[in-house]
This record gives sequence, C-alpha cells and structure tokens, in this order.
Amino acid sequence: MMLLRLITWPYVRKHLLRCVLTTAGIVLGVAVFVGMHTANQSVLYAFSRTVDRIAGTTQLQVSAGETGFPEDVLDRVQAHPDVRVAVPVIEAAVQTGIQGQGNLLVLGVDMTGDRALRDYDLDNADEAIVDDPLVFIAQPDSIIVSRQFTERTGLKLNDKLTMQTMQGPRRFTIRGVMKGDGLASAFGGNLAIMDIYAAQMVFGRDRSFDRIDLAVREGVKVEDAQRSLQAALGPGLQVDPPSSRGKQFEAVSRIYSLNANVTSLFALFIGLFLIYNTFSIAVTQRRSEIGILRALGASRGQVQRLFLIESGIAGLFGSILGILLGVFLARGLAVYVGSFFGEVYGVVERAQEVSAKPSLLVFALLIGIATSLIAGWIPARSAGQVDPVKALQKGRVQVISEGENRVRRWTALAMLAAAIGCVFLGHSSFFFYTGYMLSVVAVLLLTPALCTWLTNLLRNPLKWLRPVEGALAADSLLQSPRRTSGTVAALALSVALVIGLGGIAKASYETIREWADNALNPDFFITSSESITQRSFRFPPSLGDELRKVEGVDEVQAVRTARIIYKDTPVMLVAADIESISRRVKMHVIEGDAATMYPRVARGEGVVLSDNFALMRKVHAGDVLELLSPTGPVRMPVLGVVTDYSDQQGTILMDRRVFIRNWRDDTINAFRVYLKPGMDREAMRQKLQNEFGGRTRLFVMTNTELKQFIERVTDQWFGLTYVQIIVAVLVSILGIVNTLTVSITDRKRELGVLQAVGGLRNQIRHTIWMEAISIGVLGLAIGFALGAVHLYYILDVAKRDLAGFRLAYRYPVEIAAVLVPVMLGSALFSGIWPAESAVRGSLVEALEYE
Amino acid sequence: MNRLMLALLTAAPLIAQDARSIVDEAQKRSRADSQRYEGTLEVIDSKRKISTKRWVYERLGAAGESKAVLRFTAPAEVKGVALLIFNHPDRASDQWMWTPAVQRERRIAFQDRRTRFFGTDFTFEDLEERDVDRSGYKLVGEENYAGALCWKIESTPKAEARSQYSRLYLWIRKDNYVLTQAECYGKDRLVRRIRYSDIEKVQNIWTPRMLEVHDVERDSTTVMKLEKLQYNLPLPAENFTLQSLRREQ
Repeated sequence: MMLLRLITWPYVRKHLLRCVLTTAGIVLGVAVFVGMHTANQSVLYAFSRTVDRIAGTTQLQVSAGETGFPEDVLDRVQAHPDVRVAVPVIEAAVQTGIQGQGNLLVLGVDMTGDRALRDYDLDNADEAIVDDPLVFIAQPDSIIVSRQFTERTGLKLNDKLTMQTMQGPRRFTIRGVMKGDGLASAFGGNLAIMDIYAAQMVFGRDRSFDRIDLAVREGVKVEDAQRSLQAALGPGLQVDPPSSRGKQFEAVSRIYSLNANVTSLFALFIGLFLIYNTFSIAVTQRRSEIGILRALGASRGQVQRLFLIESGIAGLFGSILGILLGVFLARGLAVYVGSFFGEVYGVVERAQEVSAKPSLLVFALLIGIATSLIAGWIPARSAGQVDPVKALQKGRVQVISEGENRVRRWTALAMLAAAIGCVFLGHSSFFFYTGYMLSVVAVLLLTPALCTWLTNLLRNPLKWLRPVEGALAADSLLQSPRRTSGTVAALALSVALVIGLGGIAKASYETIREWADNALNPDFFITSSESITQRSFRFPPSLGDELRKVEGVDEVQAVRTARIIYKDTPVMLVAADIESISRRVKMHVIEGDAATMYPRVARGEGVVLSDNFALMRKVHAGDVLELLSPTGPVRMPVLGVVTDYSDQQGTILMDRRVFIRNWRDDTINAFRVYLKPGMDREAMRQKLQNEFGGRTRLFVMTNTELKQFIERVTDQWFGLTYVQIIVAVLVSILGIVNTLTVSITDRKRELGVLQAVGGLRNQIRHTIWMEAISIGVLGLAIGFALGAVHLYYILDVAKRDLAGFRLAYRYPVEIAAVLVPVMLGSALFSGIWPAESAVRGSLVEALEYE
Repeated sequence: MNRLMLALLTAAPLIAQDARSIVDEAQKRSRADSQRYEGTLEVIDSKRKISTKRWVYERLGAAGESKAVLRFTAPAEVKGVALLIFNHPDRASDQWMWTPAVQRERRIAFQDRRTRFFGTDFTFEDLEERDVDRSGYKLVGEENYAGALCWKIESTPKAEARSQYSRLYLWIRKDNYVLTQAECYGKDRLVRRIRYSDIEKVQNIWTPRMLEVHDVERDSTTVMKLEKLQYNLPLPAENFTLQSLRREQ
C-alpha cells in the first residue's frame, strides 16, 4: 500500500490523461460486453416473463412447434388420467394501428375452462358482462385488455379497438380490463384475451390450436404426468413445461448471442493490447524509479506486484465505468434487439425493463480485471527484472534486443508453420481453432520485426515528403519498438476485425442476393403479414384457387412455413408445391440430382434440405430424417441438399401434400404469384389488392420489395457488425492517441531542444503528424494481412459452428479502401492534440524535463 | 332444477341404510322420462347488481342417463347459444356448446368441476346427475325447515367422486321427499347454500319452482325460476344431437 501511495499515486496524478486513455480500453470492452448481453438478456427475459405470466398456473404445455395441431388432440389430452384441466390456446401478435403502441399480443382462450389456469384479475369491468363467460363467448368481438394498455391508450370499458385480422381491420369491444402484475403485465401489458374460436376465425387458423396448457391432478408429479402424456400422445407432439418456450427462443437466437459474445471479446482483446502497451511504456518511463526502489531493497516480486496491482486497479475502475456505460447502452440496444428479433426470427417481444443480472455484472467486472491483469503481467514481469544500474540509461530498454527479436521471429515462424499444418487437419475443431489462434499470435509476435522493416521502407518516402520531419518521425518509431509495435498491433487487430467483419458481410450480401435472385423469382409474394417472418395469420387454401382465376395470373404457388422441433432445436419447415417450384426455380444443388430429386419430393418420397441444415446437423443425401408431426413421426429420406438462406437454423423443403397429410393443416402463409408475360405489375398489384384486400388481410409484395425486405433484415443483422466496426475503430484511435501522448511526453526534452536550436513549431507539428500517420500505415498494412487470415477463419467458423452458411471468400477491397482514409484520418486526428501540446508547452519546462 | 336437486341428493356413503333409502326414495319420486321448462336466471352480485338470462330447457331420458338441450333466449347478447348435455350415471357429463356468432360448437371439458357455471353461483359439479352410491349418508336428525318437518342427512362424497365438497347437509321433507335445503362444505367451511321453494305438484311430481343459491365466499346469489314446466312429454331423440344443435338457431 505504501508503494502504491508513494510511487503509483504521484505517477497517476502526473499522467492522469494517459491513465484515463488506458482505462478507456477496458471501459469500452466491458461496456460493449455488458450492453450487448444486458440488451439480449432483457429481451430474452421479457420473453420468458411473458411466457410465465401467460402460463399462469400451467404446469405443462402440449405443442407441435409452430404448426399447431388439430382440435381433436384436446380431447385426448383432457381424457388423460393425469390431467386435471387442459385448455387450448392460440397466440398472435396483432397490429392495432394505435401509434407508438406496437403490437398487441392476443391470447385466444376457451373461457369455459381457462380461468381454472389463469387469473384474469378483472378490474373495473362490468361484472354482468365480463365476469360472465357465456356473454364473452357469445359475442366474438369481445376482448379483455390490461389496465396498462388502457392507461397508455386512453381506451376504456366498452370502447372499440380496431385490430388487423385475416378479414381485414375489425373492431373489437373492450369487455374487460385486467389488473395486477400477473397475466395483465405480460408482453409489457400489451396483451388482449379473446375467445379461442373467434381467434381461429380472425387469424385464419382453421380448426387447429397452437398449444394446450394443462395442470396435472393433485398428487401426480409433473414429471410423471409429462412422461405418461408424452407416451400417450406420441412423439409428434411435445409435452414440456412452459419454461421450455424460453429455451427454444434462446436456441433460435443462439447465433445472435454468439455474435454479441464475439464482439465484446474482441473489444476486450483490443483493450488488452492497449493496456499492455501503456504499461510497457510506463515501465520504460519509470525505470529510474524502479531502479531506485530496487537499490533501496525492494525485491523483484515487490516491484512486479506493484505493477500488477496497478493494472488490477486500472481494470477495476475501467470495469466499473464500463458496467455503468454498458447498462446505459443497453437501454438503446434493447429496442434495437427487440425489433431485430421480430424481423429476423418472427418473435415479437418488447423489453420493458432493462436490468442486468448481478451475475453478469460480476462476470464483467472479473473479466475486465482479468484482462487488465493479463495485459499488465508481461510489463510487470519486465519491471521486476529491471537492472538498477541500467535503469538510468535512457532509451536502453525501449530497444528490443536482437536476441529477443530472433526468438520472437523463430517462435512466430514455428507458430505459422503449425497453423498451416492445422489447416490440413481443420476438419477437427481442435486443430481448426488452434490454427486460428496460432496464426493470430504469430502475426502479433512478428509485429515488432514487421514494424522495423516497414518503418525502414517508409523512411525514404517520409524523407522525400519532409526531409527533416520525415526522418525524425521514422527514427522516433524505430527507437521505440515496444511502444510502436504495441500500438500497431492494437491497430492491426482492429483493422483485421473490420476486414473480417466486412468480408463476411460482403460474402453474405453477395451470396444472399445471388440466392434471392435465383429462388425468389415470382412477380408477387402475397403474405398475410407485412413481415414475412411473422406467421400469426394464415390464409385458407381457397384463396389460392381464387387467385388462380384472376385474369393475368399465370401460376400460383402456395407455401406454408413453420418452425418445427427437430432433435430439440426449432428448424424451419417449408411446405410447397415442389413440382411447380422446381419448374420455376433453379436452386444451386450441392448434393443430389436435380433431375430426379424434385420429382421424388413432389411425389412425397422425401425431402430436400438447405445446405446450412445439412452442415450443422451433419446430414447428407441418402440419410433419413425423422420429423415429428401431430399425427406421429414422419420418416423422410433426404433426396438432396440445396443452397437456401431462408432461415439461420436451416430449412426442410417438402411437398405441401405431405404436410397437409401429416400435420393436418392446409392453411397457407404466402402465395408466390407469377404473372402472364406482358402484364403490368403495378396494375396487377392494384387489382389483387382491390379484389381481395377488402375482405382479407393481405399484403402484395413485389419481387423487388421482398428482396428489399431481405436486404433490410440483412442490414439489421449486420447492424451489429457496424457496432463492432465502430468499437474497433474507436479502440484503435484510443491506442494511437495514447501512444502519441506517451511519445510526446517521452520526447519532451528532445522536442524542447529541437525548438531551442531553431526548430519551427510547424516542423515539430509535422513530425508528430507524420509519426501518427506512419503508425496508421503500419497498422493498416499488418491489419490488412492479418485481416485476410482472420477472414479465412471466420468464414469457416460461420460455416461449421454458427449458421452453416457456405460463404465464398471475397476480400472486402471496398472496405479496405474506406479504411485507408478513415484510419489515416483518425491517426492524423489523434496526433493533433499531442502535437499542439508539444509546441505550446513551456520551452524551459521541456528542457528541464527529466 | 330437478337436476340440481338430484345431484345433491346423490352425493354420498352407505353408513346408514335409512339415510340412503331416504335419498334413493327422493330421487325415485322426482324421476320423469322427459322434461321441458322455460327458465329465468338472476345473478345478484355482491354489489346487488342483477343480471338476467332466459332459456328453454328440454330433457330426454331418466335422470342420471339423460340427454338435455338448453337454449338461451335472452338477453340479446346470448340469444341462440345452446348447450347439449349427455349425462352419465358414473362420470361427469359430456357437454357441447353452440355459439351462433362464430358458427362453432365446442366441447366443454369439465375437468375442473369447481368452475362456476357461466357466471352463476352453481359450479359444474352442482349440475351433475350421479349415482346414489357415489356418496355415503348419515341421518343426523330431524328439523323443521320452511314450515315442514325434514330429515337432516349428512352426505359425504366418496373418494372416486372427486368432489370439491368434503360433506353436504341435506334437508328432505318427510311428507313428500322433496329436498328443501342443502349446505355444501369444502374443508369444513360452508361454501354454498341452496334453498328450494315454491314447491308444487306438477303432473304428480313434487317440484320446487324456485331455487336460490348463495355463494358464501363471493356473497352473490343466483335465483332460478321454472315456468311452463312439463313432464313426460314426447320429445324426438334427434333433437338431442350435435346436428340439431347446429340446425336450430
């Protein structure tokens, strides 16, 4: 403690700005980690809470993924001896048109039995009407809403509320207002209850239910009831506690969570380099103090501990500030994540409260401190090894000895060789990730050597530009290899991150566009929701027949999409008229023979899988899939694998007749409509809208609009990437500012002497600016190379462990071109303040420095 | 109403043969092959607010194994809603409801028989017609009730009856074997009290034409009145099917 007070505190006071900049790396890393996780968790928590609150006293739920199941399943469940009460449920997110209120989650329930499971806690309702289920049931326009909703909208009992239904906008009467913190507060209070049979009608569900909520008989264990009911219903229906819905949602959004983790880890990794760099510099600067301490009897361990404690304290402060900033950031991010989940996964949820889990905050604090300690460990060790005699020799330890350089180079080359070896063994995850890590570490180890080599290359162009300033700038970098290479490494990492992300974004956009151009070729997509990922509403099959009769329509393909559970994971099932689709769409076939597989799928003899489904689940043509349908398991041979980017969890393409037969559901999510040649698209769209829009909820999207929608969803997905890029650029700017500030302080006397012997202020400025730009150039050059390697690996990570998407390697030249002015501009900008501080300081003070 | 009376009469064990015989006799005396009436139902809530409903009720078959149709006629909000009930002696009845506004019939599962019957103070269990042997009976004594001497009988539902009640007290008039009052206890607490009045002889069957149920917890009361009551009239069996439920709106 005494050492901290006598040695560290005066240093911190003297170099407060530098300490702040150092800590900023950790602040940013921890803030991104906490912000993203908190936002993510808040939305997941809101979803789980909605599930909990809606569940009431429900102990088990019977479901069949998103497909729902026929009504007769209810009789079987109710007849089971372990079941005390079982009630059917339909859920749909509906637009009300009330500005700023978002969607209303409508729960269709059977009021004759539902109150045995859910407490509606009716408020100021007209008891004669609302408390009477008979009247509620008899009038299908009846809804119950929450008090929160009435307070927000100003609506009251018996007021009319318009909701978008399959029959177009319909007016409903508020016949009850729920209060309390239970059911009424689910979905942030945007909850409405209506009769299930009215819900079937208005949401186009035909005679099916989404799920059955049930409670078991007294004295029966829930687990026992689950087992026996599951056995009685067969594997086509899932019997799970309500909490499993939250888990499924988490499984669906797994890729997003992984992406958030990668972003925060990268931010912390870059922060680690910042700290390492600053502490290395601090050790260099304070070597005389260390020498004196050692001369006075301080042991190596004491000095080492002193620096470790310093880095720990920096980590502690940085983490605390990062946590505060992260919680603040999470508020904004939660809104983004909520709408993102709605667009990408079709799961509508709004996080009303953003609160971080204490365990997450503790973890963030620990990783912030740990990162700082790891970063500070090498500088602390070198501080402990300072020779008291050499300590007074200025500049000595900034130079990396030739021996040290050689060891680094050979280690790096060995690692590179090992990494290349791992490429050939890359089918194993262990070798793949080891190779990835080795290649990154090798490039980082080579950074000092590369910096020296590249700076020597830069020296002449710099001298050509400004003979004196150029030479001074290059020499300054060459004389302080530790300082330079640390910053350049951080900058290179940032650039590599941007290149990797940019590359994956570019590959994704190009591949998805290519797929969309190929697969999404109808003139119109007629959907029941504005967003194609929302599947609350469904069309009756009769609409397809009517569409076919419209003059100018050449062909109509009905498509039913639904998430089903395959080996405990929700995957997308696409049921369509395969004969017609295979005639119109030529998908890129990866496995199987297009000439034979499509006719066989059309005959119901098997299914075709998307590439990502096959890759992630290691399924190939010739294998047999066992799909769970409400009528029992359906065994379907895999007849082929095609490129398809419809869903991150993968898709199973089957003929719609197979789906109707086994899932007993002939409703439709979307129609693909082809027009006869020469038809005016806009006029036809208007015609369809006029003919059907008045009596059914229907959205006619043109081919271009659908592609724009996909592009928008992709943009939203890569919105996270932009956050990563911003973080990377910010951290690298911090690194440059830090390095230059240290460099100026270090060379205060030298710069003072320069001024004293006639050096002009502009010359000093230009020297520092050139130094800054040179660091930028070095960082960019190494970063571009490292980025190329990084991109290779993350494309493979995306394929093997994330979404199973096979993306082509395309170096993001455009992004690299943008990075040049951005990074060099940032470097120059970072150099402005240190340069001004160098030229505006007192010359006497500068000469007296040290 | 006879259904409700019958249900309460048949809720109990065979500890005392006398009590069981009384209950059995009361049930026999109220038996008819068919029944029709127009009913009025008033629910008076704890704030003394009254809501009224009217319906037409038809029953075919002897109590315990009957089929019944109940069709609401007023108020306008519920007009046309109909209920088809198949009673079974040994288990809960099967019921379907027809809702004209959505053109759908729904099966009503009374797994939770404690649920109130459409906002009234009866529960679904109160309306079931069950076998006399599903409860045990004990003669507690004799009491005057509403100016008539009654047997006071304690009825305890057997475990297989899965009743919400732990015991019931029944007052059966000695002169005509008509149930005049029932007190229903759940875990030794009075839950519900049912009083039968306006007792008249209709086609040789003593029938209470007014029934008053008081829910002690909710402090609400339901009054049911029977009008145009007829027994043993010819009713076609095809009127008691799901098809007829859909047809007759």
